[in-house]
Amino acid sequence: MAATQKLKLLNEKFGPAIQRANLPGNGSLFVFVDAAAIKAVCKYLFRDLDARYVVSIGADDRPYSKQFMVAHHFAFDREHLLCSVLTHLPADNPRVDSISEEVPAANWAEREMRDLVGIESVGHPYPKRLVLPDSWPEAVHPLRKDIPWNSVPEGLDEDREFQFDDPPEGCVVVPFGPFHPTLDEPAHFRLYIEGERVRGCEYRGFMVHRGIEKLAESVLSYNDIPVMAERICGICGCVHNVAYAQAVENAAGLVAPPRAEYLRTIMLELERLHSHLLWVGLACHIVGFDTLFMQSFRIREPIMWIAEKISGNRKTYGLCVIGGVRRDLTPELSSELNRVLDTLEKEWRSVVSAVLKDRNIQKRTRGVGIADKALVKEMGLIGPVARAAGVDMDCRRDHPYAAYKRVQFDVITADGADVWSRVVVRATEVFESIRIIRQCLASMEPGPVQLDLQGELEAGRMGMSSVEAPRGESHHFVITGENNRPRRWRVRAPTYQNLQGVPMMIKDQQLSDMTISLGSIDPCFSCTDRMETIDVRSGEVKVWSQKELMDLAASKRNAIIPATQIPS
Amino acid sequence: MSLTSKIKETLVCLRAGRVTLPYPAQARPVPAGFRGRPIFDASKCIGCAGCANNCPAREILVFDVCQEIRILKYLGRRCTYCGRCADVCPEKAITMSSEFETATNNIADMGQRLELFMSTCQRCGRCFKEPSVLEQLKLKGYRIDDLQNERWVFGSKAYIGNEPVVDDIKIDLD
Amino acid sequence: MNILWTILGAGANAIAVLLAAPLCEGVLRKVTAVIQSRQGPPLLQPYFDLLKLLGKEDIESGDSPGMQRVVAYLSLSVVLIVACLIPMGFSAPFNGVGDVILMIYLLTLCGICTLLAGLAAGSTYSLIGISREMMTMITLEPLFAIALLIGAIHAQSFRLDSVLNGSVYAARLFPWSGFIILAVMLLSFQGYVQRVPFDIAGAETEIMEGPLLEYSGPKLALFKYAQMSRLVIHSALFTTLFLPWGSGWGFPWSWMIFWGKTLLLVLLVTVVAATHARYRIDQALRYFGGLFAAGLVALALASYGH
Repeated sequence: MAATQKLKLLNEKFGPAIQRANLPGNGSLFVFVDAAAIKAVCKYLFRDLDARYVVSIGADDRPYSKQFMVAHHFAFDREHLLCSVLTHLPADNPRVDSISEEVPAANWAEREMRDLVGIESVGHPYPKRLVLPDSWPEAVHPLRKDIPWNSVPEGLDEDREFQFDDPPEGCVVVPFGPFHPTLDEPAHFRLYIEGERVRGCEYRGFMVHRGIEKLAESVLSYNDIPVMAERICGICGCVHNVAYAQAVENAAGLVAPPRAEYLRTIMLELERLHSHLLWVGLACHIVGFDTLFMQSFRIREPIMWIAEKISGNRKTYGLCVIGGVRRDLTPELSSELNRVLDTLEKEWRSVVSAVLKDRNIQKRTRGVGIADKALVKEMGLIGPVARAAGVDMDCRRDHPYAAYKRVQFDVITADGADVWSRVVVRATEVFESIRIIRQCLASMEPGPVQLDLQGELEAGRMGMSSVEAPRGESHHFVITGENNRPRRWRVRAPTYQNLQGVPMMIKDQQLSDMTISLGSIDPCFSCTDRMETIDVRSGEVKVWSQKELMDLAASKRNAIIPATQIPS
Repeated sequence: MSLTSKIKETLVCLRAGRVTLPYPAQARPVPAGFRGRPIFDASKCIGCAGCANNCPAREILVFDVCQEIRILKYLGRRCTYCGRCADVCPEKAITMSSEFETATNNIADMGQRLELFMSTCQRCGRCFKEPSVLEQLKLKGYRIDDLQNERWVFGSKAYIGNEPVVDDIKIDLD
Repeated sequence: MNILWTILGAGANAIAVLLAAPLCEGVLRKVTAVIQSRQGPPLLQPYFDLLKLLGKEDIESGDSPGMQRVVAYLSLSVVLIVACLIPMGFSAPFNGVGDVILMIYLLTLCGICTLLAGLAAGSTYSLIGISREMMTMITLEPLFAIALLIGAIHAQSFRLDSVLNGSVYAARLFPWSGFIILAVMLLSFQGYVQRVPFDIAGAETEIMEGPLLEYSGPKLALFKYAQMSRLVIHSALFTTLFLPWGSGWGFPWSWMIFWGKTLLLVLLVTVVAATHARYRIDQALRYFGGLFAAGLVALALASYGH
């Protein structure tokens, strides 16, 4: 077993620093280590054992163990293992060694940990505020258990502004966002432009916090959360829905009935179909090819309709409850689904055969937004971005869940590492999804779709689940708790990692390529921002628009000179 | 400029014909089983408040005026039409209708208010067994949500008191 | 009498362009919608759009409001002056007053208006937009000058009425130069009318309409009107320069044929715009550079009588 083998390796190397381990036998491994050894253990896992970094989680465990808790998650994709390295920190001194220098991909997660739980990462290379709004006071950490979910903290200063770094010499600052035609959601990139070239950027996002995790930990109950989780994202909602349910099931040791697993697989793949078609359309729109955008949406529409018939809504399927799914698939619907897939396959084949030879589109996408294997490893990039760089990685195969063990499919990869390769990967994955759904429909047996739960879920157990969203791996981590709700629930959406790679992807590129490079990771800011601060009243948007205006006013004056010195 | 690709693309476009509808004038019919705006049927409702306990958006309020009269108020402001209320309703008094064009200038239009006459169960006061353990909030006795401010109050009371409850943070189970 | 005709003709041309421009835009939108399997807006929607914008509050924003207003008027009026220099089914109203050089100047002025609009607004995106506009202008205007020059060489005259009458084909020998420059102009035509794939200066998904980003209300209406008119003007110029057939049939027929040909060009623009992705500025410049070289070859051929 991979889990025992890794544990043995860790034991040999670190000996007494490894306190205890938990092997639930469902492809996960929890290792509790000394806080002092955490950096070395993570480095060993990441560099020597070549694990993929997933996420870091901070939790306020004081009401239960009088301690704080930190978990770093890694994945061994080839060995089908998710590994969590946990450590406890004293309640009066929540400080831990930063791993970001060894594992650059942990940069955001550690900053988020500081913002929200107040766990300081000592030696972090860039300890700037990430998640909390600018108006938020320093010492209040909303995910701590002593902060009520609906409180407005003292010291909230709506006039406080975000301190941006100084731009490099000779560069003009171009504010990109928070509102921009190619951003469907607010996010701010402060681009440093020299002529038409992007020399660097600073990201300020997390403008759509909705406090979903805090709500889940303090107000909602186990079965309320799936429909909330679904609203983390407008496109891959079902992924979060399933991932949450699976994380709780893993923690509680439940297994959903086979028919429910098949239904989950079908809906996840339907979601991937519509998401990939949507993405191809949006990418075309970004490069100004609106006709193909419209055609993608036309081909996508029947998928939305069949999803609406199956689940009652075209996008928010409301699919899962703990231990199963809510609606069954009737035989009429499954034959209709088969027909929809046939038409889709035919139409998409004709579009793909035309697009894959279209040099006009290739001109805008080849060699653009490069994210090579090294960047994928360092920043923990996932999904089509990683696969387009030739990294053979797919959670559906590597960490099988739902019914993916029982179906055959190929993992599509490409070698270009550029936007064009991502187009190819996504366009081809559509056919694999169709294949998966057909197999599910053929091999599904009648049966119950929900577990008959007896007794409550035991508190204090941990579970994690990785689900391959259309954009990459969605990772959910749950600690079960009292009062019919989890103690801690952490969502790591794929964009959370992929977005961290964007500054490297757009560096030294033309400004025109910025939008398509950003678009190529299929960014989903709501997913990334999902979190914590509930406060709709803090007037965050107002602060930002002021800031924006000031940026514009400042950049106007110094932008005129470089604009005339553009190299052709 | 790969001309064949362009021609193929144009053919794909032209073969499809016109597919959009002149929407407000002509709409696509809603399929069976669509989850639209929930409609509450007062004649079927037994006032168990299962819907109120399981609404993820906390949009269904329950207020016990006295021993015999229970008010069930559906606000519908931030209802996500998830249909959990209809799932747990033991009497099928809630149907997810096909209404989805619910834009309004007055948010109160979205609400529904049921005044229910309750006979008392001799053993527990209010009775309803929820379908699974995960749906049970262990709320017994009387619920007094804040109808005036339209806020859900997490808790219940053994007796109907006179003082209104406004603090919706306080969690007092049993 | 002569002056009366000039005034009447100028009025007729200007009004024709003003009326036709939104209609052409409407046709463009509708045909695009058909290609994209959509219902599309009503044919007359651009008229309503302009009316709506004209009826809005005139907001003064940006660096120099006075300049912005002047530029808004200027951009439309330049286009209308150009309209009076083009024979649209009858001889051009301002026939005697200008020559080919004036035409080139005026067309450059159209581009300058966009530059001024962006500069006066002064936002970062406008500045990026105008730098792109400037780069395309620098490469496209000479191309147009070459086309007119070839016509002038063949016609042995700089007079507009003799150049704008299919004179590019009036070579002493086989008109190689005429056909080459026809191909060149066809391939670069999207650039002149600023449509996809060469709508780089105002790329919505990159720099949000660039130079026009800061404009709203009546001023935006004037700019939009000028943009729509540019499509008509350039199509009209192209028609007179390269598609002269049927212009000698006498007034009502030649007028109808002229507008028919112009509309066909608009349709061509639409189809190309609907089936292409936008190029990047450097790619576009390389493309135009190649065309410019071909144009020079055509010019050389023309000077040797081909």
